Amino acid sequence: MQRVVERVLNLLAFLLTVERPVTADEIRHTVAGYDQESDEAFRRTFERDKELLRDLGVPLRLSYTDAWEVEQGYVVRPQEYALEDPGLTDAERAALWLATQVVRLGGQSPGRAAVLKLGGAGAGSGGEPLAAELGETLDYLPALFGAVVERRLVRFTYRTRRRRLRPLGLAHRRGHWYLAGSPAGGDDVRSFRVDRIEELEVTGPENAFRPPPGFRVADVLPEAPWEAGEEQVMVEARFDPEVAWWARRQLTGAAQVEELGAGGLSARLPVANVDAFIGWMIGFEDAAEVVAPAEVRQRLIEHVRAS
Amino acid sequence: MTSARAARRLSRILAMVPWVIAHPGATVDEVCERFGYTRAELVRDLNLVFVCGLPGYGPGDLMEAYIDGDEVVVDLADYFAAPLRLTTAETLMLLAAGMALMSSGTAPEALGTAVEKLERVLMPEQGALSVELAAEPERVALLSGHAARGEVVEIEYTSLAKGETTVRRVEPWSVHSAMGNWYLRAFCRLAGDERVFRLDRIRRVRPTGERFVPAEQEAPGGIRYSPGVDDVTALIRLGPAAAWVSDYYPVDVVSQEEVAQVVRFSAAVPSVAARLLVRLGGAATLLEGAEVEEAVSDLKSRILRRYGAAG
Repeated sequence: MQRVVERVLNLLAFLLTVERPVTADEIRHTVAGYDQESDEAFRRTFERDKELLRDLGVPLRLSYTDAWEVEQGYVVRPQEYALEDPGLTDAERAALWLATQVVRLGGQSPGRAAVLKLGGAGAGSGGEPLAAELGETLDYLPALFGAVVERRLVRFTYRTRRRRLRPLGLAHRRGHWYLAGSPAGGDDVRSFRVDRIEELEVTGPENAFRPPPGFRVADVLPEAPWEAGEEQVMVEARFDPEVAWWARRQLTGAAQVEELGAGGLSARLPVANVDAFIGWMIGFEDAAEVVAPAEVRQRLIEHVRAS
Repeated sequence: MTSARAARRLSRILAMVPWVIAHPGATVDEVCERFGYTRAELVRDLNLVFVCGLPGYGPGDLMEAYIDGDEVVVDLADYFAAPLRLTTAETLMLLAAGMALMSSGTAPEALGTAVEKLERVLMPEQGALSVELAAEPERVALLSGHAARGEVVEIEYTSLAKGETTVRRVEPWSVHSAMGNWYLRAFCRLAGDERVFRLDRIRRVRPTGERFVPAEQEAPGGIRYSPGVDDVTALIRLGPAAAWVSDYYPVDVVSQEEVAQVVRFSAAVPSVAARLLVRLGGAATLLEGAEVEEAVSDLKSRILRRYGAAG
């Protein structure tokens, strides 16, 4: 391993200082550590080293070595390599370090390496009695996040339909990740569950679109499952005293709530997805009831009968 | 394997070198604490840096890296003066972790400003990423505080499965968020065993003033329901509109058809399975499970009675 680390440090030092694209052949004859005997052994070693550099985040690019575009060589541009200094204080680094220890995503704690790049942090007390899981797998998240940051178009399959989207933001709500974006040729913003996205392609050049001014993904995402949809119904529901406390906790700011006698609760709320709302109401069994409108009552009754 | 270790070692070197260059006079202890080195590991990495550099590889081409008295010195390494940019995945995970902890209501104040600074540098604009855990910040801060200090609390808890409300004394171990909910893991004195409580079902928390000695804990783990021996089971056919169930619940997939799947669902009490089935409406069919079938028809008739509708 010692030799790998030495060789890659030498390679990186060379690429950062040479100021022009260099071919694999030139690297083989210039950089210390590439003294493999056969072409095949060199090729394998060099491939592994490039892979390692890319995994670390080094922006290794290919570009033509001359104006006639005959030969390609490798480039690392120092201004692309460097992290722009965010100007963190030690207290801020320590807080980030704590966050990376408490939060897990895709089965891993997100990034001692990232905190080190930012200047490291003292070990802290550790062993916080607190943990948060943001999803068991990463799936398409990094690719989607990359597309949001670089403003590149995405194409994917969602509920069997192929979609094209300008990706505007990512959000985690109620245990799930959502992608928000506008369909190509439209201005309305829709949200999609990331774990239901299939066959993702990030396509086209960077900066392919501009997000609407002042766009915040938090503003376009529904707070409750029944707020995500295209229906527009004002619903009135009633909750018995033994479940009222729990209903109150899950109702969002959009609901107008009124106390009933003996601790019961009445709520008027906008519903955009009636099926999701019915599912939620059934969780209260027979201790809650849709009062109005009659169509939603009827849909609930039919839903229960169908089960 | 070797390459994962090489990557970890390289990334630490590429982070440590710029910091030492930017902080002349940094001490061995400081560098070790900041980058998680033992002294021996730091010496080993400095020795490695010392033999690397630019083609020619003679004195003046190689970097200088050594310990002078108590001081760490790195020189002739200007090309490594800037730390390496973050990868896309690192940026996402760091920001998401920061935002998640902020929404838990237990974050140190510095986290808010840290996330803001990072967003400014790493994102084209603010607002394109948002992470909010289930909204229980007061309870999270309160109970994780009791856990950290080893304080026994009394909770009033309404069980999700049975709907019963009980008052119990618990020794809180840890608080964690998973699948969109917050949970408390604790030793429950009423049950005489370890229990997991959903925070939104805890109706009241009362400190008792009594202390307990926290046992050595492994890190708080995931929280999926794990089937027990006394569970009732049901064989359920999930139509396309109910396909999410197999992602969300720990079911055994018995057979996978083209558009539907048959799964075995376990629960501590039949009412949990019944609620799920009624919620799924026509999207799922119960194939097997007499107790669950009975619970379903009981639940259906109770709800329909409330609506004045016949079964």
